[in-house]
Amino acid sequence: MIHVSNLHLTIGGRPLLQGMDLHVESGSVWGIIGPPGGGKSLFVKTLCGLFRPDRGSIIIDGTEIVGLSEPSMVPVRRKIGMLFQNNALFDFMRVWENVAFPLARLRPELSQDTLRERSLMRLQEVGLLGSEDKWPAELSGGMKKRVGIARATMTDAPLVIYDEPTAGLDPVTTSKIYDLLEKIRQETGATVLAISSDIEGLSTFVKNMMLIHEGRFLFQGPLSELTDCGDPLVHQFIRGLEEGPL
Amino acid sequence: MTGNLLARLGESFLLIAHEVGGVIHLLFKVLVALIPPRFDRDELWRNLYKMGVRSVPIIILTAFFTGGIMVIQSAVFVKKFGATSLVGWGAGYAVFREVGPILLGLMFSGRVGSNNTAELGTMVITEQIDGLRALAIDPVNYLIVPRVLAMIIMLFLLTILGDIVAIAGAALFGSVLADVSFAAFWTSFSQNLHIADLTHGLVKAAVFGFIVSLTSCWFGISVKGGAVGVGRAVNNSVVAAALGIVLSDYIITYTLS
Ligand SMILES: Nc1ncnc2c1ncn2[C@@H]1O[C@H](COP(=O)(O)OP(=O)(O)OP(=O)(O)O)[C@@H](O)[C@H]1O
Ligand SMILES: [Mg+2]
Repeated sequence: MIHVSNLHLTIGGRPLLQGMDLHVESGSVWGIIGPPGGGKSLFVKTLCGLFRPDRGSIIIDGTEIVGLSEPSMVPVRRKIGMLFQNNALFDFMRVWENVAFPLARLRPELSQDTLRERSLMRLQEVGLLGSEDKWPAELSGGMKKRVGIARATMTDAPLVIYDEPTAGLDPVTTSKIYDLLEKIRQETGATVLAISSDIEGLSTFVKNMMLIHEGRFLFQGPLSELTDCGDPLVHQFIRGLEEGPL
Repeated sequence: MTGNLLARLGESFLLIAHEVGGVIHLLFKVLVALIPPRFDRDELWRNLYKMGVRSVPIIILTAFFTGGIMVIQSAVFVKKFGATSLVGWGAGYAVFREVGPILLGLMFSGRVGSNNTAELGTMVITEQIDGLRALAIDPVNYLIVPRVLAMIIMLFLLTILGDIVAIAGAALFGSVLADVSFAAFWTSFSQNLHIADLTHGLVKAAVFGFIVSLTSCWFGISVKGGAVGVGRAVNNSVVAAALGIVLSDYIITYTLS
């Protein structure tokens, strides 16, 4: 599904991604962890073509996207559902319109009524039925997150990327969200990348992990191997130790 | 000392060149999106309403009193020299050619342009623009083109409305303050003014709309650095639009006369 090799990205003279290689099988579920500012968000945004890498290659579902123009990126982007770290809800649209928007774009033939109905179904799944006619500014942080998740999964895209789906949520809501993500994943069989700083919660959902630090992968592989990783930084990070290279 | 000053001058020059380049680049993208038309009609309607219809009250208010003020200022001399036959012509000439388009252009920039910059800038810092791109939507087609079109159309129409209201204001204040009857005002107005006086001002209105729309969109989408960045962008956008209006006014007046 995703094949990345030797990916480099520099912004304003700062090398932010420095030689990343990755292979993600179709249908697999990956967690992305790492210290703040390590480049997790930047990496996934680069995967959907929001930043132009200096060099390297990104192949999504058989299409090389590095060097593609914005218009030729359209078919690739339609295969990706994305939850942004700060949700990126469109504040000029009501909640239900936000959720329906990707679907409306993908299938212009659908009527407003159908769109609203489908949107309400998704909102019910994330526990937000009743808030459909609110504006995003009227929602709490956790509610916005869930609207973002509903929007990211609306088109049943074959690749879904969640940037911090549970940040700022309580443990109960967090586990509900992961149950929901798992349910949606089973329905669609999508490939999933999920960034989170809550390693424990994330581990209940993903089968594989990658750890990004200073624009490089320090670990990549099955969840079970993460604890055996010899890298001292990884060791410190996943155990939350104060002593160490970090 | 001089070196320092020169360096600062050079720096500002580069900065201005960067902004002007950005505006021109944006203009190019807007033109590409227009031929053939590829933009969002719903967005166009929404913006026409928000930018135009909602501006009507403030435009009427400003225009009415501007027309009035011109007559108040000249009332003393009109009475002293008995130049009542010049009031209609004078007011019309000034409003159509200069005062109408410039004043409404600046007003429009302050109300609609600054709002537009703030809105787009906020969308940038809250990742809404990235959100659109990730949904395979071109932000230029979806957000910028409808706004540019709406601003050009609306400033043009609002200027026509403003012209009419300002003339009405001038006629009213003329009859009250300078004893110029409506009939005398109308005779002076209709016999001395030409359609060219009106079109001269409307050409300006279209160009000003174009300038306000492009600068406000450019400063909005190029925001960097959080809420502070949005504030700075709004500021720069209003200043740039005012400069653009005054400069282009000079050029148009010069070439059309
Ligand atoms: N648009 C941008 N322009 C310039 N630099 C950026 C941009 N976005 C991110 N960066 C820089 O890239 C680095 C990585 O940022 P990124 O947002 O990917 O971190 P992250 O791993 O997602 O961190 P967090 O866990 O805090 O979300 C940071 O040093 C940041 O300053
Ligand atoms: Mg991040």
